[in-house]
Amino acid sequence: MKRSLFIRPALSAALLLVGSLPLVAAPQGTKGVEEFDPLAFPGKVVDDVIVPVPSEVFSVLDKLGEPNWNAELRKQSIPTTSDRTKLSLLFGYTVAEGFVAVQAQDKEAVKDIGHDVISLAKSLGLSKSVLPHAQAILDAADKGNWSSIRKEFDQTQKTVRDTMENMKDMDLSQCVSLGGWLRGTASVTSVVKKSFSADRAELLNQPMLVEHFVTSISKMPGSTRDHDVVKAIQKGLASVLEQMDGAVDGFSKDAVNSIGKTCDSLLSEILAKK
Amino acid sequence: MNFSMERHLSMNRPWSRFHALAAACVLLLGATCVLATVDESHDFAMEAATPFVEQGFIVREDYWNGEVKSGQKLMITHQLFKGNEYAFWLGTSQEGVTLDMKIYDEKNQPVQISAKADKFFMSARVNPPKTGTYKIVFELKSKATPGVPWALAYGYR
Repeated sequence: MKRSLFIRPALSAALLLVGSLPLVAAPQGTKGVEEFDPLAFPGKVVDDVIVPVPSEVFSVLDKLGEPNWNAELRKQSIPTTSDRTKLSLLFGYTVAEGFVAVQAQDKEAVKDIGHDVISLAKSLGLSKSVLPHAQAILDAADKGNWSSIRKEFDQTQKTVRDTMENMKDMDLSQCVSLGGWLRGTASVTSVVKKSFSADRAELLNQPMLVEHFVTSISKMPGSTRDHDVVKAIQKGLASVLEQMDGAVDGFSKDAVNSIGKTCDSLLSEILAKK
Repeated sequence: MNFSMERHLSMNRPWSRFHALAAACVLLLGATCVLATVDESHDFAMEAATPFVEQGFIVREDYWNGEVKSGQKLMITHQLFKGNEYAFWLGTSQEGVTLDMKIYDEKNQPVQISAKADKFFMSARVNPPKTGTYKIVFELKSKATPGVPWALAYGYR
């Protein structure tokens, strides 16, 4: 018994070492990058997907016109819950709402969202790692330092996801990304609907991200996968993917409406007080 | 029989403990070194990003990293939005590494508008012609070691 206590750190260290070397050798083919063919790619595909933050899309919408970001702010109250899956979705939602508040340059909204971030982090047991970022958001809001707030929202989300992944809660980390993506996409569809153009609508061409979320949900543990809200998201994403796959010649107004409705309906479930 | 076995174990236990602890220390040190060099690789990627930040690029906090066999190509798929300009920064903490990076669109055509390599990092810029999925293909060649730590970050404006 005592002996195993001494062996365990060695095993843990070995696993850590193996885990830190995710890429192993694969036979090199004869085709080079110049003749690029992904089906005959002679190297290794990195599976990790980085989900863009909403402000990446918002910045394009700003270049294409002047959206009324204040009208996009929802200012909805965050329900109290002990359900960690829902808390993770809410966390992603709240950070994405923060990016909308930055676009709107609404100091009070940013501060309210900063407080929501602190509250959600406490409920998730992650306040220690989140508090410095949340405080930085509140301080930067006072100064109207929008670029700094944007950076802190991005860092907050990364910190929370990294902490969850370190605690082996990969499913919760994915829920943070999902909540954020749904809120960001709902904003994009709302702006595009108000001033439709092919260029704006094209921003919804994100099938790789939707497929990534669908795959991530299918790999979640049963308890998370069977969560009512996650099941609804899985179903909703299938419908969104259908719209994206069908937009070969560009997105129609109807397709944008449909994606927006799906996102809004899923966000209602995330924000429901139950 | 049981007694002799227990005695045998108890006699060897101090050595077993020592060996297990030593192994743990060596492995932890190795793991720490690998993690440290991966983090240092990100530091070099951020060094590559510095002049871009001065030009208004917003650096994403998320990044990809790992260790790869020298000369082995890696491919990452990533969502880009038409209307933004993107910059990708590849860094390594290892000396004497040759870096290469190219970006391809959905039709597998190269799309980067410029690429620049330095001692520990390289950067590539792209103005995506369409919103969609792009492939970032890169490799790191070292004559000194079989494994090369790397980090790839990106920014937009």
